[in-house]
Amino acid sequence: MRRDFLKLCGLAGLGLAVPYNRPVAARAKAKDEPYGGPYYVVFNASGGWDTTYLMDPKGVNGINRLYRVGDILTQGAHKYAPIAKHAQGGMSNEAFYAEFGDDLLVLNGLDYSVNNHAPGARYMATGKLDSLAYPTFPALVAACRGLDCPLAFLTFGNYSATGNLVAMSRVPYLPSLRKIANADAVDGNERSPYHDRFVTDRIEEALREEQAARATGPRLPREERGENMLYAAQISSKALERVTRYIPASIPKERLSQQAEIALASFKAGVGVSANLTIAQFDSHANNDPDQMKLIPELLAGVAYLLRRAGDLKIRDQLVVVVQSEMGRTPSYNAGNGKDHWSIGSVMFLGRGIKGNRVVGATDEKQFPIPVDPRTLKLDKEKGIRVRPEHIHAALREFAGIADHPSSKKFPLGVAESEQLRSLWA
Amino acid sequence: MSRNARLLALVLAAGVLFAGGVRGDDTKPYTGAACTATVDDFYQDEVWAKVGAPICLTCHKKGGDAEESKFILVDPRRSEGVARDEAMRQNREAFARMARLKVKDQSRLLLKVVGDLNHGGSDVLKPDSAGYRILTSFVRRVNTPPTGTPSPDLMARDANAPPFFNGIVMVDDRRLLRRVTLSLAGRLPTDAEFAAVARDGLKELPSLLDSIMTEDAFYDRLREGFNDIFLTAGLDGNPEASVLSYEHFSTTRLWISKFDLSHIADAKAQQQGRYKLANDYRKALISEPMKLVEHIVRNDRPFTEIVTADFIMVTPYSARGYGVYDEVRSRFKNPDDPFEAIPVKLKALVGRTRDDNQESATGFYPHAGLLSTFQYLRRYPTTETNRNRLRARMYYQHFLGVDVLELAARVSDAAAVSAKFEIPTMQASECVVCHKTLDPVAGLFQDYWKFEGVYGRRKGGWFKDMFGPGFEGENLPPVERWRALQWLGERTAKDPRFAVAMVEHVYSILTGRKVLLPPKDLDDPLFVSRRRAYWEQRRQVEAITAHFVQSGFNLKTAFKEWVVSDFYRVDGLATVVSDPRRRAELDDIGLVRMLSPEQVERKVAAVFGERWGKLTDQLAMLYGGIDSKEVTERATDPSGAMGAIQRILSNDVACRNVARDFARPAAERRLFPHIEPDVIPGASPDGDAAIRRTIVSLHERILGRFDAPDSAEVERTWKLFAGIVKDAHEQKAFDKREAYACRQGNPPPPDDPHYTIRAWRGVVTYLLRRHEFLYE
Repeated sequence: MRRDFLKLCGLAGLGLAVPYNRPVAARAKAKDEPYGGPYYVVFNASGGWDTTYLMDPKGVNGINRLYRVGDILTQGAHKYAPIAKHAQGGMSNEAFYAEFGDDLLVLNGLDYSVNNHAPGARYMATGKLDSLAYPTFPALVAACRGLDCPLAFLTFGNYSATGNLVAMSRVPYLPSLRKIANADAVDGNERSPYHDRFVTDRIEEALREEQAARATGPRLPREERGENMLYAAQISSKALERVTRYIPASIPKERLSQQAEIALASFKAGVGVSANLTIAQFDSHANNDPDQMKLIPELLAGVAYLLRRAGDLKIRDQLVVVVQSEMGRTPSYNAGNGKDHWSIGSVMFLGRGIKGNRVVGATDEKQFPIPVDPRTLKLDKEKGIRVRPEHIHAALREFAGIADHPSSKKFPLGVAESEQLRSLWA
Repeated sequence: MSRNARLLALVLAAGVLFAGGVRGDDTKPYTGAACTATVDDFYQDEVWAKVGAPICLTCHKKGGDAEESKFILVDPRRSEGVARDEAMRQNREAFARMARLKVKDQSRLLLKVVGDLNHGGSDVLKPDSAGYRILTSFVRRVNTPPTGTPSPDLMARDANAPPFFNGIVMVDDRRLLRRVTLSLAGRLPTDAEFAAVARDGLKELPSLLDSIMTEDAFYDRLREGFNDIFLTAGLDGNPEASVLSYEHFSTTRLWISKFDLSHIADAKAQQQGRYKLANDYRKALISEPMKLVEHIVRNDRPFTEIVTADFIMVTPYSARGYGVYDEVRSRFKNPDDPFEAIPVKLKALVGRTRDDNQESATGFYPHAGLLSTFQYLRRYPTTETNRNRLRARMYYQHFLGVDVLELAARVSDAAAVSAKFEIPTMQASECVVCHKTLDPVAGLFQDYWKFEGVYGRRKGGWFKDMFGPGFEGENLPPVERWRALQWLGERTAKDPRFAVAMVEHVYSILTGRKVLLPPKDLDDPLFVSRRRAYWEQRRQVEAITAHFVQSGFNLKTAFKEWVVSDFYRVDGLATVVSDPRRRAELDDIGLVRMLSPEQVERKVAAVFGERWGKLTDQLAMLYGGIDSKEVTERATDPSGAMGAIQRILSNDVACRNVARDFARPAAERRLFPHIEPDVIPGASPDGDAAIRRTIVSLHERILGRFDAPDSAEVERTWKLFAGIVKDAHEQKAFDKREAYACRQGNPPPPDDPHYTIRAWRGVVTYLLRRHEFLYE
């Protein structure tokens, strides 16, 4: 079935204009096997996080009111803001770095180039500022790695464009998957199938023949995409029945944990490749510190939940996690004790293949970025480059082994070879 | 000064830069002879389309950041016909003048665009960019008139290119009719309608559409479609509290709690009745903005009223909330109908203190169509830091078709710009370019500030560190402040972009997607093809816009024109196209729209007589629906989860309807009026012919296909039906009745001793899984 599926996708649609070449890492997957990883999760701190209260602490020039430079804490190579006394719920930086610091790679001084939400979110999600057509990284990697997965790309908000490469799946409630997991039985009850087995087989055969007949005739590009995506969705949906056994009996209350459970269930069942997890309300124009002290711990708790639960499910070693936002917050407070938009920020990575306990890039004491030598990743004020989202995405594509995939090439990032961050991951 | 003003600035600036780009090249190819110098193709398609409109026009225009410079362009979007052509000619001359100027043997134009000679906009082009190469070529042409043919890679249009729709198959009139009735009225065509198009073809369609657009179902679809755009159903909170502010409606908005339900004796039933009353009241309040859309269209009023109507739509329930029920009660046909809506003009708001009273020269609330409705204002609220900029952005997007934030230009060092200027939004060119447009409109909403933005002036007055209230370079006269949104609405209605935006909205309702944006990547090898696709669609938009305006802004005109346009009628390709350039041109051609949950339900009802009823709430969201709040864009492609829902739907709808249809007298059946369960494939020629006729009929009813009985499509379905019956008879035994779950209903269905009912159910399941059913 999978072979037929890929053949159809590759020949005529799903965004693949040229024959499909499976990436090296995916070749091990045999026909009809569940997707076995790696799994990619992007956490979005939507609204713009205050990086000086997390991985890029300052404590000088009035940038932070909750601590001073002497209070800054360290964990291995990391420096981070002390927030345990101020955190409202969730997980403090102290606890997060203690548990995950050794696995964590931080990039500071990222230049978003813009400081408004929509373009910033799009740029950070895709690596392309001036196009609405580009896919987000999780969508792209799902398209390259798991076109036959029914929930290949899960999204829970934030910018989620797919570049017409893969369908996005929105699963707002995990229990709703139970309702659809066994689509060929009345009320999902396996003992009460709608059709006798031989009828179902005949129907599938007819649909397969009909699809094949359509593929041989002239079709508009939109027809090709639509028909192939429909066929793929229906065929791949049968794998959803594998998800039910991983739906937990009790659903966590926290919003990120709920999203994480859905993503993990799809990963564990081999029906998902990537997920876009999001919490909003970081846009702390008023009362920055209380807002950030509530949301940063919530975000970190969500990351920790995902990683711990992945450990329980024995798939943590296949997880790749990116934690990002569309902008930072200003180095000064406004009249309402808030902080406004700042075009400089940070991004965090951890997981499979990422060497942790490292910090790349930096900002100065006024929160301006310090250029980086793309080859050595050392700070170089004279000859370095400003690291922008396209550099991150080019590196992510390389890291995921999809840089040369036709779907990636369809959406070039235009990063010169001399600016590639080759040694970012290890 | 709040830093917020500075910081919001940077990318908003870029947004407007792009906004110019989106529309800036919305110009018809120059064809007239009204001027002395022709606007050549190279200038128009290269210089203007790729550099002038998207980049230079942003600042170099009256009211723009570079209005003091000597290089002033005219925005062709702001004029029509000959005036537009004249604008293009003037712009060409302005470019040519610049191209002739030199500084030390170097082109002034080329120096400016890379940031030299103190160019206010700094470097807008890189020396190695395609845009710079275009200007270089232009400068060379101006100073040394070309003797030969320009280099092919810079030629904008291929003069030998075949017509755009060459090789495209258009849908036949019967199927077009079905497409339209399902899309706009949620039903199949009537026999009379089929007969009309069979007799008169496409030319009959507009009059049929006139009739379709009187049906209530059309207005359900219209409201749904415009809510997808305006999203007013997504306003936060309970509407009786959020739409009707405590300060102005404290004594009336909670009328439900005092409503006399004493005629219901049972206490529990009375409470249930009150719940229903509250639910209907909330729905009525939420639905009012879209009822305004309906009212305008249903009554053939100019659609400009969407921004100028001096009334709102109220229902018997919401009228009580506004405190005007006794005044307007007699105007309702049925005062007990919670959703009957009539136009009403509210009096100026009276607050709990004199300061909260609304200023009004007429004594009435200054209604400005949708703009001033409480629902719109609450759906797009304001804050001390946002300063109505969200509203201004949405105004431009909704009513002028300009999305200022969709594509932002890169600022080389946004953080440095933020830090350098005290008020970047008014001082930094990167910021001013946008905020000079956006902030004046934000200022027009200034009196809709307090009480979470419903109404009320800001304490301390409007912000001084913003460009003052106005619109596109025209300041709001102080005397007009009390009716600022009416002032804006009047100008909006006259702005040529308004009509274009409304025509584009209709396109999105009909197709489920937005119109094409102009391609931006000049280095894309398929740029010319993509731009041709854009231009062809743009031409259609403009042609329909012209008719829309001529019709007095009657929105039905836009629907009718789109429906008969080539873009809507495209059905497929005559031959395989493998040329990537042609494929790029055709990339967006063809309706090919996955039906929304609501559309699927309506289609099931149209074909089978009743809705499936399960594509609601969570399942609808899982099927790509929207909640108008967090999820505001419909899924356009099916995920695996949606594929599963399609399989459930096909199984379940077939299960419910096939046996039940056979239970009816033949004359009353929808699916199987000409066949009985005892007709077995292969038993007789007459029986086989009847089976094939039934398949043809099912193809028509469910898929909208008009297949011949001996076609390959019918043969495939025949094979399925006959194969199932054959397989069944090869079983050791099978139940002689339909499956229990599928033999519900009254009267009970007949037995199924030959397995034919279940085989027909298999056929219907198969057809419901097909692209032709799930897409339009």
